[in-house]
Amino acid sequence: MTCARALCAVIVCAAAALPAWAEAPILTLTGAVEGAPVTLSRTDLTALPQHEIRTSTTVTDGTPVFEGFLMRDLLAAHGAEGTQVVALALNDYRVTIPTADFADFDVIGALYMDGVALSPRDKGPIWIVYPRDDHRALQDIRYDTRWVWQLVELHVE
Amino acid sequence: MTTGGDTRAGRDWVRFAPLFPVVLVVVGSLGFALAQSSALERDMRVAATQNMLWVVTQTQMELLQLTLAAGRAAPDADDVARRYDLALARLNLMRQGPQARYLDDLGHLDRVLDMAAALEALDPLEHDAPAALHTALFDLGQRQSAQINRIANDVMTHDWDKTATRLDDYRATQRVIIAAVSFALLAALAMSWVLLRNQKRLHAAQIGRLRAATELQQERNASAMYRDFAAIVSHQMRTPLSLIDSAMQRLARKGSQVSAADVAERRAVVGDAVDRLTRLVDTVMLLAKLDTDQVKARFEPLDMAAAARSLCIEIAARHPDRCLRLTPPEGARPIALGDPHLVGHILQNLIDNALKYAPPDAPVTLRVFAERDEVACAVADCGPGIDPADLPHLFERYYRGASACTGNGTGLGLALARELAVLQGGRIEVDSHPGAGARFTLWLPRASGEGARDG
Repeated sequence: MTCARALCAVIVCAAAALPAWAEAPILTLTGAVEGAPVTLSRTDLTALPQHEIRTSTTVTDGTPVFEGFLMRDLLAAHGAEGTQVVALALNDYRVTIPTADFADFDVIGALYMDGVALSPRDKGPIWIVYPRDDHRALQDIRYDTRWVWQLVELHVE
Repeated sequence: MTTGGDTRAGRDWVRFAPLFPVVLVVVGSLGFALAQSSALERDMRVAATQNMLWVVTQTQMELLQLTLAAGRAAPDADDVARRYDLALARLNLMRQGPQARYLDDLGHLDRVLDMAAALEALDPLEHDAPAALHTALFDLGQRQSAQINRIANDVMTHDWDKTATRLDDYRATQRVIIAAVSFALLAALAMSWVLLRNQKRLHAAQIGRLRAATELQQERNASAMYRDFAAIVSHQMRTPLSLIDSAMQRLARKGSQVSAADVAERRAVVGDAVDRLTRLVDTVMLLAKLDTDQVKARFEPLDMAAAARSLCIEIAARHPDRCLRLTPPEGARPIALGDPHLVGHILQNLIDNALKYAPPDAPVTLRVFAERDEVACAVADCGPGIDPADLPHLFERYYRGASACTGNGTGLGLALARELAVLQGGRIEVDSHPGAGARFTLWLPRASGEGARDG
């Protein structure tokens, strides 16, 4: 009983915090996109078609299920014109990704791992996830550096 | 029950059977080398992704940033919250999955769990007094900096140890691969050698079989030849011997009434028979010598016309009832290069042959002439000629044509004549006009200088 009540309290709290949490900007698009810079909230990103990938990663055990938007959908939705994007993380980690990756593979910006929203205290709010278990080519270590976690900005070139 | 073909296929299989283990060894060791190198590659891939030192350094840096942000004279609450998130994210990373196992091996997992718990206790979202929180975070950061430094230190030394061990493993694997490939190479060489040797043996066996078959055939031919030879020669010897015998018996029957004319008559008969025997023995001896390569021609300049003439005189004495005509050459006498004894033999054979086939009242003609670098003596008769079917076999030993009217003849004369002509660098040509006669021409090379003098 105590547990149930506590759980209810958490849900109520979460519900109350929900609008602000969902509307806060979490990703910025810069460079060759329409109306740059574009700031996007969790609501904007979940409005895109959602896609699931079950895959192993180099920093977790097992094969978690990731859920999020397809990177190519995001870029298309904002009229991005370029051959590569520079992904920037919360801690200033920076890596260049060819846009061909997004055309060739179903690369997603994951918002959820195993049904739980990714948090900035873990690898969230956005983690770029490649379907590495479905394509042998993606198991090359050169792709591992493109799995940017805590993604906050994409600069299209 | 197996057929001959099956047995042979079986034998081939058996011959190459020793190769199968070798093939297995070659493929096996190459496969082993491949497996080793692929294991090496996998290991390197794992080693590359397990970049623990980077994870720890990142945590170290984020903790430092948080400490700095919290320790400022006037801390920015949002900045501290952001730094808090990042520092916690790194500590979370360290206590998850492969990272947690790595730290557990190193004995540092509990330390990291404690660090994360201590940090989580100071969550900015749950603290209303920022100043106290910032002071607490600054103090915690300073305490944890020593701990994370120690972890970073241990991770680094551990990584170096692991790298050294891995390098040792790589070297060992490399040696194993080199050994496996060398072994495979040696095995392949051995296999090639065995294959080549078998091929050679097979080849030698085939050649041996072929040679044996040829030798057997030659032996059969030879024994058949000697059987024929013995039969013919004994038959040919019997005729003159019986002539001699009957002549002697007649003389014996007459007893004391033998007249001088009787004796002369029988002597002629016996002389003729002995002559035939002598020539037969000569021919046989000469053939035997030819077969054993014992005939050595003694070449000397030879007046062909003179040789033909002396032979005609000799034969005419033996056959006073027959007509022999010799047409000498026009102009200078052609000189051939040959052995007078052998040339005599050839011409004697040709003339005897002509006398045998020519009608008794028709002449046998001899003509000696020169043409370019050769000297010829043609012996012609007016006999029935030679059956075209016999022409190709005329010079074969023991060949006796269908038209050979008399039983008289060894089938050796013409064969011997041709072999002797060839021995002296010459040949015998034959022209035949069925019903009108035949002509045999002996051609011999001219003695050097003769052609120039004549031309």
